[in-house]
Amino acid sequence: MSKKIDNLKNNLADALELPKEIVLDLPKITMIGNIQLYIENHKGIVEYSKERIRINSKIGIIRIIGKKMIIKNIVSEEVVITGEIINIEFM
Amino acid sequence: MLIIRLWNYFRGYVIIRIEGLTLERFINLATLNDIYLWDIDRFDYTTLEAKVSIKGFKELKKIIIKAGCRFDVISKEGLPFVLNKLKRRKMLVVGFILMIGVIFFLTSFIWNIEIVGSKDFDEGKLIEYLDKEGIKTGIKKSIVNEDELQIDILKKFDDIAYVDIDIQGTNLVVEVKKRSFYTEDDKIDKNKPCNIVANKKAVIEKVIAKNGNAVVEKGEIVEEGQVLITGIVQNDSEENILLVHSEGEVLARTYYYNTIKEPIIKQIQEETGEKYFSRELKIGNKSIHLKNGDIPFKDYLEFIDDKENGFYSVIPFNIVTHEYREVEIKTVKQNVDSLKESLNVIITKEAMEKIPEDSKVLSKEIDFETKDNFLIAKIKIELIEDIGKKEYIQNQIEKYEEE
Repeated sequence: MSKKIDNLKNNLADALELPKEIVLDLPKITMIGNIQLYIENHKGIVEYSKERIRINSKIGIIRIIGKKMIIKNIVSEEVVITGEIINIEFM
Repeated sequence: MLIIRLWNYFRGYVIIRIEGLTLERFINLATLNDIYLWDIDRFDYTTLEAKVSIKGFKELKKIIIKAGCRFDVISKEGLPFVLNKLKRRKMLVVGFILMIGVIFFLTSFIWNIEIVGSKDFDEGKLIEYLDKEGIKTGIKKSIVNEDELQIDILKKFDDIAYVDIDIQGTNLVVEVKKRSFYTEDDKIDKNKPCNIVANKKAVIEKVIAKNGNAVVEKGEIVEEGQVLITGIVQNDSEENILLVHSEGEVLARTYYYNTIKEPIIKQIQEETGEKYFSRELKIGNKSIHLKNGDIPFKDYLEFIDDKENGFYSVIPFNIVTHEYREVEIKTVKQNVDSLKESLNVIITKEAMEKIPEDSKVLSKEIDFETKDNFLIAKIKIELIEDIGKKEYIQNQIEKYEEE
């Protein structure tokens, strides 16, 4: 059922050229090189250490592996991570 | 990013250290409660450091307890905390404000008057005039009306062609340009009738009357003040007297004399390099001389370093330093021939400065004479110069009528 609704939303977003992260409530991830990562629409932090950060989102947990990472700032909608980023995975 | 940092500085923020096992939960709770956290740095599994605004910090306390953590305030940064500190040190703030106030106050006065101009300009007169107008060291800057003063100076001094007054900091700079061609004639009103009279005793050589009647002839000896070209023109056929503004040149033979004396055996003072200082404390008009014993020299020269200018002229307190330099008095006999030569140069130079520029030198005679211990040089210069000087007739007529 929910898959059907999602499909519909996707088609609607395609047809009306609406931003999908809003229509489908998906995280929007922006990276600057490998030094900064910017995630909009997150759903909280699951794990946080200098080498590994896991962030919850609608499509599952995003795992970021890196070195000397810190959370530059965090509010309810977005989170900014800086440091040396090696790997991003969706689980 | 700089703007955000500045904003945070002005708002003030707290650096806190959180200890606990559920730090992720704490972060999530903070974000859910709309508390802005930044620069979150995880040290190890149980500790992290973060920055939070003052307002956020108060709300954060509840969340920390809820998340089952402990917190420490590491430091408080930003303007509100600095101001708080200053509140406890009121005298520091008062002193700072007072200092700025004093600087503003002192820089609102003129402490130095500087006159920039050609070397031959007589600065003393201008300073005297400014003093009379109330422009002296220690007055407020706002009193000086630059434009008006410039006009006044130009009106008062005929020999100044250009004047510029500028206040630079606490200095009043008066820039002056002297008029290069300036004669007494420029002052005389061309519409008023006048005579040309002799300005010194002379023998007339040539009279060129452009306007008016010449009343002297070649070879005549005239005294100072005697009329040479008259502006009173009387026609033979008419009875009326016509008054004109006479113009013309009167060339006459004049003599210029000068003598200078120079001792042949001369005493000169030679500094030995030994110095002695003493100080004088001046309070108002009274002074105390602080001396460390008597001056240990038999012959000495005294130099006084008196700070009378600027700031010191206003406060009634001053320290004057007296410097005594030991000198040795030596008697020197000078060579007569070389002395004659040097006197020759000096006397000629002096004479050339005194005689008018447009005159023609006919002859120059220099005599030397030794008398007692002195060598006396006498100069006699024969020259032809214009001796005419304009003088209004009006006064004379009045005198004539009175008689």
